Amino acid sequence: MTDRVRAIYDRLLSRGYRSLRDGTEYELAEGFARRGLSWVERAAERLKFMADKEKAVVFENDRIGFIRTVSYLPPLLTDAEERERKDKYFVFDNGGVGNISSDFGFTVTHGLEFQRSRIKKSMESFATDSAEYDELSAMLTCIDAAYVIADKYRAEAIKQGCSELAAALARVPRQGASGFYEGLVFLRLLNYMLWLSGNKHNTLGRFDRYMGKLYAADIASGALTRGSALELTEEFFISLNFDADLYPGIQQGDNGQSLMLGGKDPDGRYVFGDLAELCLEASLDLGLIDPKINVRVCAEMPDEVYILGTELTKRGLGFPQYSNDDVVIPALVSLGYDEDDAYDYTVAACWEFITPGKGMDIPNIDALSFPLLVSRAIELACDVKTFEDFYSLVKSELDNEVRRIAESTRNISVMPSPFQSVLTDDCITTGRDIADGGKYNNYGIHGAGIANAADALASVHKNIFDERNFDFETLRAALDANFDGYSKERALMLDAPKTGNNDEFADRLLVRLVEDFSDACAKHRNERGGIFRAGTGTAMYYVWLSRELGATADGRKKGEPFAANFSPALGVRTDGALSVIQSFTKPDLKKCCNGGPLTLEFHDAVFRNETGSRKVAALVKTFIQLKGHQLQLNSVNRDALTAARKNPDAHKNMIVRVWEWSGYFNELSAEYQDHVIKRLEYSE
Amino acid sequence: MTSDICAFGSIRYGNTDVNGLVFSVEEFALFDGPGIRTAVFMKGCAMRCKWCHNPEGLSAEKQLVKKQGRCIGCGTCSAFRQMPISDVRQLLNLCPQNLWRISGKEYTPDELAEKLLKNADILNANGGGVTFSGGECLLQARFLADTVAKLGGRLHVAVETGGYVSESDFGLIKDIADFVFFDLKLICDKEMARYYTGADIDVILRNFDTLSKSGIEFAVRMPLIPSVTDTPQNRAAVAERVKNSNAAYLELLPYNKLAGSKYGGLGMQYTPGFDESAEPVIDKEFFRAYGIDTRVY
Repeated sequence: MTDRVRAIYDRLLSRGYRSLRDGTEYELAEGFARRGLSWVERAAERLKFMADKEKAVVFENDRIGFIRTVSYLPPLLTDAEERERKDKYFVFDNGGVGNISSDFGFTVTHGLEFQRSRIKKSMESFATDSAEYDELSAMLTCIDAAYVIADKYRAEAIKQGCSELAAALARVPRQGASGFYEGLVFLRLLNYMLWLSGNKHNTLGRFDRYMGKLYAADIASGALTRGSALELTEEFFISLNFDADLYPGIQQGDNGQSLMLGGKDPDGRYVFGDLAELCLEASLDLGLIDPKINVRVCAEMPDEVYILGTELTKRGLGFPQYSNDDVVIPALVSLGYDEDDAYDYTVAACWEFITPGKGMDIPNIDALSFPLLVSRAIELACDVKTFEDFYSLVKSELDNEVRRIAESTRNISVMPSPFQSVLTDDCITTGRDIADGGKYNNYGIHGAGIANAADALASVHKNIFDERNFDFETLRAALDANFDGYSKERALMLDAPKTGNNDEFADRLLVRLVEDFSDACAKHRNERGGIFRAGTGTAMYYVWLSRELGATADGRKKGEPFAANFSPALGVRTDGALSVIQSFTKPDLKKCCNGGPLTLEFHDAVFRNETGSRKVAALVKTFIQLKGHQLQLNSVNRDALTAARKNPDAHKNMIVRVWEWSGYFNELSAEYQDHVIKRLEYSE
Repeated sequence: MTSDICAFGSIRYGNTDVNGLVFSVEEFALFDGPGIRTAVFMKGCAMRCKWCHNPEGLSAEKQLVKKQGRCIGCGTCSAFRQMPISDVRQLLNLCPQNLWRISGKEYTPDELAEKLLKNADILNANGGGVTFSGGECLLQARFLADTVAKLGGRLHVAVETGGYVSESDFGLIKDIADFVFFDLKLICDKEMARYYTGADIDVILRNFDTLSKSGIEFAVRMPLIPSVTDTPQNRAAVAERVKNSNAAYLELLPYNKLAGSKYGGLGMQYTPGFDESAEPVIDKEFFRAYGIDTRVY
């Protein structure tokens, strides 16, 4: 870290800049309603209002800029309107746009004036009283709002003597970036404007791809050295963290600022360029929770990339997360994505595979609880003679649940985001807001607790059908009693084969669940013409869906959490990492490719020397060769977390991986802290 | 089941002499040889090194082990703590905190070989294999040789040994190992060695010579215990031995300050008998001056 980066980093950690914030709760919706404004008009007007209220804050030597000074974002609808909306429509996750990936490359290259001219031209083809015309007008208002912010920052930069920032803002965002530095300023402004628009989970997409040309040109011309580019990248990364507290998801840190590096081109060539490498270095050096680093990998990837990635894993942030091109690209093609778009995939906030700049996929629209399905089947199992008979009950519950979810998504209402629409291909031509749909409109369903469910099935198979240790009636009684008085039966359940041990008995049930989930989803279409994608992620549902679920046939007690994502059940002692990766690569993951990684936890002592790191890198490579779809590694130390729990002030900046984002341990609620600690108990 | 261990006797389980007692099969063992490896930790050791960090390897019997720290004192375990170990296996799951397990699992050579071969593709693709460790794995040399025969040359086999086993057991090493890590811990003084390691160094050094002449590739490992093994006299003694052997290299292992952490779970006390907080002398140059390729872990 250079001195100037250190100064900015210290400013971030001191959090002093947050005292500059105006917390006034401005009210806009009543006025909007009185004026009879459409939702699109409101979104644009609010952005303009916010841009007017925001103040430019430029510190000494600042080169990137854009810190929020108005912390409250007024709602677009009055309370009554919001109630009516929720009565009439399916409103998902506060009902706004987010969790998609913008076409940053095009805008950063061409500039907003170019987009403005495209919008104006497009307006000519629509009647002035049409919805399209309104949408396009709203886009223009949003662009103006971006100019308001840019101009304020330019003026302040001049005042503070920050000549580089002032010079950059003389060009961007109106014109396209002429170099890497201007590109970073532009990108940061766009990211800031998306947050200011009220969008959630604003991802950064394939940064090395859309910034790569600018970077390479500057290096070639000598305008930048690798060192100066690293310094700028670090300043940019830090800037993404300044206002992270204003953008909480379910927990603090769950803000979706994911960034993807590397990947296979349509010609089959794997590219992990110098800029990608530099991003890993920057993240390693800074150790901050944003951006969340993802790396695309494939069988042909050179070993050095795994080694670089492992260096970052060692840092303990839970980055990078790996996605396997060899699985994901064909999976997306088979789900109906154009080949070029499939090759261009990135991740949404966590791990969901999406295409940048085009789609309005909602890859996290709901989650199903696999263990609940098995428990329901156990309730129904009266005259069941064979395990196959029993499994068909599970399958029918699975079908029912997917149907229920599919139907519950009908009549969706998504609040428009004209600024996001400027950054999305085709919206300018069609005059349609991205909220109303894009090139892809697929929905994804998370599959929570799949390991617990496979284990419960294995337990039923062994204890009821193979060994006849007890019958369904006894099982139901034991589960109802939360095993009180049934300790012998519970011991038999815990003793049954578990997934994660490379044991066919349990693993083939995991394989079946994955396959049947995929088949169940394939039967449905959403109202936007999209499909339902089956996934192996859980998001927060490993906690939510397990809280109320009674005891399960794998021996899990009522309320105990499931594993996060696609991992062995909590408390299962596996034979080790080799068995785990083999178990969890047995399913054909191309069929269940909404996203959701296997997580492996390693004690931080594993990384104590180069030998350990190289072997972890080799393990990642093996996972990719086995056709796993997504992998995430943690370097952890339970003792350190326990200490942080006891004495939070002494561990303010300790970072942990939660369900697919990393957060400050002390900013998590106790429930999530406990889960992080609990899952480690079996990894040491 | 009966077991028997004496200074130079092999361990035999059951009526046949083919079963082995293993306390851990650790996949992805990082520091037990080249590449991605599975390490098999065999139960039982005739040495009693005061710094031993793997006390589960000491006894040649199965033992109950309790994970430390999270006990809520519910007393459920009083039902099985005093029972014969063969009867408690399924009862351990009753502990609400899941703290108990049995250390020591019996394998036939077929069973162990089958388990190891399940990962053969991954191990071979990553330049690895299997490592037998312990305890003192060569106390069960017959079992290892039978297991390795079942592996049929499909896995690279390394052995970690302290060399304190009978001549006949050590003689089986040629049927077992492709590579050996041989510990030379404390060899400068017979009495000190007896006190700190419980071993007779003549036995160890005789086996060391056997290994050196065997043609098997091997490395020497030397634990650096402050003021015990890192003394100038002992370093010189080890350096001389290594220099005059066919060892490929020497690995120095500085004392692991967490060595005592596993004793509580076995109901044992850790009494190192030396100053744990002192830093060991890690002097690579000392050994390099003897022309020895020296590495530090």
